[in-house]
Amino acid sequence: MTTQSCNTPRYSIKEPKNLSPRIKWLRDYYFQGNKRPWNNEFVGFTTGTPWDIQYQEGNYYIVPETYVFFPTFTGAFQQVSHKVELPEGFWGWSLPERQTWFVKEVMVYYLPHEVLPFDLIAGGRFNIQTSKCFTEKEAKKYAAEVYGKKGARAAELWFHNHGYGNAGATSGHLIPDYPRILNEGWKSIHEELNRKLASLSKRDYDGEKGEQIRAMLVAATMARDVAFEYGEECTRLASEETDSQRKKELLKMADMLRRVPWEPAGSFWEALQSLWITHMLVMSEENYPGPGVSFGRADQYLYPFWKKSLAEDMDSDFGKEILKCFWIHCNYAYDAMIRTGGNQGITAGFGQLITLSGMGKGGVDLSNDLTYAMLDVIDELTPLLEPKPNVRLHRNSPDKLMDRVVDMIASSQGSPFLLNFDERSIAGMLREARMADAGKLINADNVFDYAPVGCLENTMCGNDRSGTVDINLNLLKAVEHTLTGGYDLIPWTDPMTGKQEQLKRWGAATEDATKFGTWEEFWNAYVKQTQAIVKRAAELYDRTDRIRAEYFRTPYLSCLVRGCIDKAKDVNQGGAELNFVTLEAVTFANTVDSLLAVKSLVFDNKDCTMQELVQALKDNWKGHEVLQARATNKTPKYGRDDDRADEMGKKVMELWTGESWKYKTSATGKQFRPGMLSWNYWVGDGYILPASPDGRPKGRFLSNAICPCAGADTNGPTANVNSVGKVLGGKDPAGKGDWEGYLNMLPNGASHTMTFSPSLLRDEEHRAKFKAFLRSYAENGGSALQINMIDADILRDAQKNPEDYRHLLVRVTGYNAYFTAIGRELQNEIIARESHRM
Amino acid sequence: MKTDQDPALKTNVEESTPDNIGGERAIILHTQRLSTEDGPGIRTTVFFKGCPLHCAWCHNPESISSQRQIQWMEVHCIGCGICLKTCPWGCLESKEGAIVRDRSLCQACGKCVAACPAGAQEMLGRIVGLEELLSELLKDKVYYDKSGGGITLSGGEPLMQPKFAANLLRRLKENGVSTAVDTCGLCSAASLEMVLPYTDLILYDLKEIDPEKHRQYTGQDNRRILENLIFLRDYLTARPAATALWIRTPLIPGATANRETVERVGKFIRDNLEGRVQRWELCAFNNLCRDKYRRLDMEWKYASTPLLSREELHELEQIAKQTGTNPDIISATGATQVENA
Repeated sequence: MTTQSCNTPRYSIKEPKNLSPRIKWLRDYYFQGNKRPWNNEFVGFTTGTPWDIQYQEGNYYIVPETYVFFPTFTGAFQQVSHKVELPEGFWGWSLPERQTWFVKEVMVYYLPHEVLPFDLIAGGRFNIQTSKCFTEKEAKKYAAEVYGKKGARAAELWFHNHGYGNAGATSGHLIPDYPRILNEGWKSIHEELNRKLASLSKRDYDGEKGEQIRAMLVAATMARDVAFEYGEECTRLASEETDSQRKKELLKMADMLRRVPWEPAGSFWEALQSLWITHMLVMSEENYPGPGVSFGRADQYLYPFWKKSLAEDMDSDFGKEILKCFWIHCNYAYDAMIRTGGNQGITAGFGQLITLSGMGKGGVDLSNDLTYAMLDVIDELTPLLEPKPNVRLHRNSPDKLMDRVVDMIASSQGSPFLLNFDERSIAGMLREARMADAGKLINADNVFDYAPVGCLENTMCGNDRSGTVDINLNLLKAVEHTLTGGYDLIPWTDPMTGKQEQLKRWGAATEDATKFGTWEEFWNAYVKQTQAIVKRAAELYDRTDRIRAEYFRTPYLSCLVRGCIDKAKDVNQGGAELNFVTLEAVTFANTVDSLLAVKSLVFDNKDCTMQELVQALKDNWKGHEVLQARATNKTPKYGRDDDRADEMGKKVMELWTGESWKYKTSATGKQFRPGMLSWNYWVGDGYILPASPDGRPKGRFLSNAICPCAGADTNGPTANVNSVGKVLGGKDPAGKGDWEGYLNMLPNGASHTMTFSPSLLRDEEHRAKFKAFLRSYAENGGSALQINMIDADILRDAQKNPEDYRHLLVRVTGYNAYFTAIGRELQNEIIARESHRM
Repeated sequence: MKTDQDPALKTNVEESTPDNIGGERAIILHTQRLSTEDGPGIRTTVFFKGCPLHCAWCHNPESISSQRQIQWMEVHCIGCGICLKTCPWGCLESKEGAIVRDRSLCQACGKCVAACPAGAQEMLGRIVGLEELLSELLKDKVYYDKSGGGITLSGGEPLMQPKFAANLLRRLKENGVSTAVDTCGLCSAASLEMVLPYTDLILYDLKEIDPEKHRQYTGQDNRRILENLIFLRDYLTARPAATALWIRTPLIPGATANRETVERVGKFIRDNLEGRVQRWELCAFNNLCRDKYRRLDMEWKYASTPLLSREELHELEQIAKQTGTNPDIISATGATQVENA
């Protein structure tokens, strides 16, 4: 708060700005939510057989909140689905042909094709739940494999209830080859499929390969036919339109929709229209709204169209107007459960990521005018959730971009985008190439064209499915098993019956920890337990992956993923050139801190015996408060730039990532790779996992992704960042890293969230400092950063839970104080100050 | 009349601190990383313990004494009573849930600090070795390099431990790190001379020009402080590129936050330092330290003093800008009252 800013109003909740009447109307209409007369709620469709199903629960095995609703959703969609007339011979077709025909039939002929008033992009409804088109025999077999006593659902519940985490083959989370559609049109894919079909041997033609290619041929005309229907609608609307300007727009749209996305796009507007129809149909086919189906480097592949249209007949304001329409369309994903979801279904659960900026070959920066136009769009529409922007920063990011980024962070409650850091990310991708022998597909000449999906999960573009949210494993489970020799610390109790499970040795058969005389013995047992939990996760995933490969095909999406045509394999069967699944580790910091605590409390300082520690954990620290306090406050922690503690972090990282590379799926040949995402599991699973040696009681949140435990990073943000970089591998001093000096054990990347005091960004001088902080992050930190700003809510929470906020510094010019160390009265004053700011 | 020649003060500066041990060790409070308020760029600030002044408004009361002190952090205490049993001096007792320390008995031996499982007994004052501290400070080198930042020695008064300060600054410069010293100016000219060759920026506190008022607010008159400032000016005039100078003036309600003080300081800068000062910062009074006084069992005259209002701060800034000092170098910082919404 310098005096300059004293005299100008402080910022308030971010409001949209520079919106034309058109965009204002479209935006306001969207936010009317379930009061809207029109929406994009799921609509169900059935073949009409009594055994039909629409709801594919395997998609949601990674969403524990939904487990209890599986039977409800499955039954509800069966009840309300509309019957689709089937053609003759339908039941004689192969499963992929049936499934893809069905989706196409619904999208072209059943789901209405509406265009909203003033909208410049066509393509409204896309959320559907379609019949899986099973024959009775298939349905029975599927039911036994999924719903049966020993089925996948039961296995999933067991895994989750016992605190391991969750795993399931889930839709989306990839970047389709959209540039090909824009540049060559769907017709080129159609032609390639025809060539492929003609090249198949008789045996292949009659077999699975032929089925798959024929299904893809059906799918390859879906976008053309859907666009045609929207073109008809535009023509109709134009005929009724009285406003001459709008009439012109509608006629132009009708004209475009008769060409794209079948033909290559000829203008920026056509490119966005082509992209939208193509993209939304991916979500339709997968029956899942916006599951990390991401756009990749859109500011790069759209740029030629932007330039061309600006040179011809478009001004940049109109270009931004089309972009804003496109942006609003992405948000209609949230309509899927608009009546049943909280907050009108508008949650943060989806992730159609769009990547901006980043380096090109040789480390040159690729920001262009379109990058900045897109940043304007994001800024002017804020707060709007989709598409989720991810800005790629690197050593050579220009000041102009850095200034824009920091200004946008400063004027928002938190940054309106994620930041991805190229050097560390690229190091991870090249590590992946080495580990998976994929050097032909990922190498120094193309690795800069990587892009994140979903939130921050790094993949290549157009040929890569890495299942980036499919396996979420609590590393802490291995510590629990090390303490007990492979048993659960507390037996699981069935919440329905209250019946307690008999303790069984689910983990590795390691010795009773109370017998260990040295830390090394404990560590060796921990290694075995980690191997065991990774194996269990891999086995569970393998089941769900096999089921998906057999029962759920996505021929439309497969057309958009390089490798699938070549191999004549669905993307769900492992058709992508880069065919991975990511093991996302959760509870990293709790695990590291727990190991540090065991070492310190039991072996180094002998504050307690192993027996006492185990008993304290069984008792959830009740009656052991002194030991808990010691575990919390007097043991080393990850996140403080303490080399000894971070060394433990690195050892843990080496261990579990090393284990993950050992696995491949049996049905689809997917190579496992490591990452750290955590999504929201670190909250919910805190109620499942028992107390841990780091002082955490059962019921307290776990650590989030690669972040230090709440309140543990007492040496401030730079120490936090340095620790994160170190446990990823740090840098090789001789410059021999995975990429230049950078090492990165996590090709997927790691989610890192940091919260800052707004006073750090209060004026130009401080914004320059923050910019330098981000440039330093690129040197010392991780692969991805989410920035939040301290607000009154955080401070109020800190008042209630001081233990979680020991690190929280309040910065007033020239003075810092730990928030929890000042009296309540002053705390209230600071809260009032922050509230006022809001 | 007590002056800086006072034997008691001399003892404090030169004998009772670890600096005596060849400048290899020092007593500090702590280091503050990602410090954005003590000089340019991103910095780590080293807070030295011990100060020759005792400003009535001091917002770091724990830095005044050069001895170690222990404070009890109520918010962290779990009430286990281990400290009571551990203390060999019998200086702790429990009163209505609070741990009360008899400071006349406490030797700051640290036994209660080590024993407390919750970190509620906190040691103020850490004896650090030169190389140990250096390697800690170098951990954030990349942040200094990218931001044009570095290390600031502050306190307390870093020049109460001049040998250590000079050694540390020299080692930092050897490692390519930019340096700043935040000083109250009450030290020997020799101490200043020791650190200047390794100092890129001096942050110099100029609280009040009137000697009597200065004594009244800080316990010491300002003759030496003003002399040192003139010494510094001459030093800088001879070596203009070597070291930059910032002046900092605290704006304290009822003391320095008034037209007269600001005008006196401004005119002093205009008349004596013109062209040598890169920045003159007016630092608004701050009350976040209220609980620190309570924890150290110290009275604080300013406990219930409100912050300046925005208008007052703005007005004082305008006054400063009219003193004839280059207005471009003046900036006002600090918290102001939350205005009525």
